[in-house]
Amino acid sequence: MAALIDNLVLGFSTALSFQNLLLCFLGCLIGTLIGVLPGVGPIATIAMLLPLTFSVDSTGAIIMLAGIYYGAQYGGSTSAILVNIPGETTSVVTLLDGHQMARQGRAGVALGTAAIASFIAGTIATLVIAALGLPLSQLALLFGPADYFSLMVVGLACSVVLARGSLLKAVAMVLTGLLLSTVGTDLDTGVERLTFGLPELADGIDFAVLAMGLFGFAEILKNLAEPEQTDVVRGVIGRLLPSRADFKQALGPILRGTGLGALLGILPGNGAVLGPFAAYAVEKKLAKDPSRFGRGAIEGVAGPEAANNAGAQTAFIPLLTLGIPPNAVMALMVGAMTIHGIIPGPQVITKSPELFWGMVASMWLGNLMLLVLNLPLVGIWVRLLKVPYRLMFPSILLFCCIGVYSISNSPANVLFTALFGLVGYVLYKLGFEPAPLLIGFVLGRLFEEKLRQALTLSRGNFMVFLERPVSASLLVVALVVFAVALVPNLKKKREQLAS
Amino acid sequence: MRGVAEEATAAMVLQQSESNSTPDHGRALAKEAEASARPGINQDLAAGLFLMALAALAGWQASHLTAGSLRQIGPGLLPGALAVLTGLSGLALVLRSRGQQNGVPLGRWGVRGPVFVLGAAVFFGLTIRSLGLVVAGPGVVLIAVLASPERRWREALIFALSMTLFCVVLFKLLLQLPIPLLPILIGF
Repeated sequence: MAALIDNLVLGFSTALSFQNLLLCFLGCLIGTLIGVLPGVGPIATIAMLLPLTFSVDSTGAIIMLAGIYYGAQYGGSTSAILVNIPGETTSVVTLLDGHQMARQGRAGVALGTAAIASFIAGTIATLVIAALGLPLSQLALLFGPADYFSLMVVGLACSVVLARGSLLKAVAMVLTGLLLSTVGTDLDTGVERLTFGLPELADGIDFAVLAMGLFGFAEILKNLAEPEQTDVVRGVIGRLLPSRADFKQALGPILRGTGLGALLGILPGNGAVLGPFAAYAVEKKLAKDPSRFGRGAIEGVAGPEAANNAGAQTAFIPLLTLGIPPNAVMALMVGAMTIHGIIPGPQVITKSPELFWGMVASMWLGNLMLLVLNLPLVGIWVRLLKVPYRLMFPSILLFCCIGVYSISNSPANVLFTALFGLVGYVLYKLGFEPAPLLIGFVLGRLFEEKLRQALTLSRGNFMVFLERPVSASLLVVALVVFAVALVPNLKKKREQLAS
Repeated sequence: MRGVAEEATAAMVLQQSESNSTPDHGRALAKEAEASARPGINQDLAAGLFLMALAALAGWQASHLTAGSLRQIGPGLLPGALAVLTGLSGLALVLRSRGQQNGVPLGRWGVRGPVFVLGAAVFFGLTIRSLGLVVAGPGVVLIAVLASPERRWREALIFALSMTLFCVVLFKLLLQLPIPLLPILIGF
């Protein structure tokens, strides 16, 4: 406990330096600014804003990126409530009751509740990270290659199960993602693989390029193909702070949502996306009058928002302790950290404690800033949402191009992003979900590396995955996850969610 | 690696025999399918064929690599195996689509969006090094604007120039990223 306090003191002394505080603030502000734009989720936002952090030192850069991430998350909820468009998948749930509240003239209360729920969830999740960081990273040092491999199998299984729509298609996407990750020079032998002889592919496909194409560009194409009815809330936002009665009603859902979200966020394979859905379902089950849900129930905003934010934050745990990014946003963080010479994994916490704890402290500061910053700025976000899409998408496109180019000053990367934008559009039209592909790609390189290491150590004996207890139990978990998805009742639900 | 190659050719043959009916003609066909509700190309069939084509491409590339043994895995083993598995999942989708009475139709494929949005990005990629942001910036905006059904040229022109100015100030002056501005005239 004393060690934890010492660590947090170190963290706050890092995060509270003038420069880092400013970076955290800028990150939150710009992140929200871009995240508020309909159809621009956290992935595209971070990929777009990555170059902003290049001229800063590594701790500052990670703090700023984390700020951008929370800002983008929060901006997504803002556009879900004010316009009927989720800025990101996890805001889909907020939209159900949040937008109804807005139409009843309670937009301000909905936004205020979302902000307060996010803040409480963020505070608790930060403490969870601080408490679990050290023990988990020590545990991770005991992991052998076979255990790592099996852990990644669990992650892949989760990403398949959590994708919406057809299970078969999700499996196909994971395989495609793994396949794409093998493009480039083989680390063991130095042989170029699947590069079509292009020197630009020798280093493999840049993750930011793939993510920007599949999420940024393809999203624009999707929006242009099917112009959604934008329904910006007109008229009054109303009071922002929820009344005492509102708050009393929301507190339970906030705490339950935080618990659920924090727990699911730790899971590898994009568990965080499940949080808001689970929280909404729980609140609806617990409510005395479930019919209020979908008609502007405050619990329907508070619970999912808390779960959303808690999960967004605990998703850092597998990244910082195991070096395994649990979702696409965290994979972008890996890219950003690598640019700054940090290799995420169990060593971070011991080798650069000021970075780890500074980041943990800045997470809480970032959440506080969002609370203070966003409520007064609601008016600006509303005005921003009224910018017509015909002007919005060319600007988003230009920022994306500059962002992608700046990552390694490579014009070829911009061309590849355009190609992946096309692929993303085709996948969307063919009913594929891109998220499992991205997870497969993210885990791919480590997956192959650990597989090869494990088999070399065991002299080609596959039994090694079953003989080591950690590995064996993880494989059982993966199997159970898969089996659960095949239960007919759940399968039906997943397919309903898709439509 | 023979298995991979066989899978690849099989997928290629299938792809060829059906290629008339994928993306290019998808739009027309989808309309037809909607009109007569006959079991034509549905989403799963197209998706399966797409995966098989992808697997064939990867399999062809991977066929030059050595697979090695389990004890010493070579560079080609995983790409080859993944290509086979991707192809198989594509095959499964094709087979599943055959059993569907009324699968999801392919739907309309807008052409204008992809052409101009992606065209704008390609323009950026091709011109940023040689002509610089001063040309590529307005170019992206003006080409992208064509993707939208409503076009207002005056507005677009003013917007393109002000966005470019904003980007120059932000990325070049404030953040000092090494983006070429106008190399042919001013040398950087």
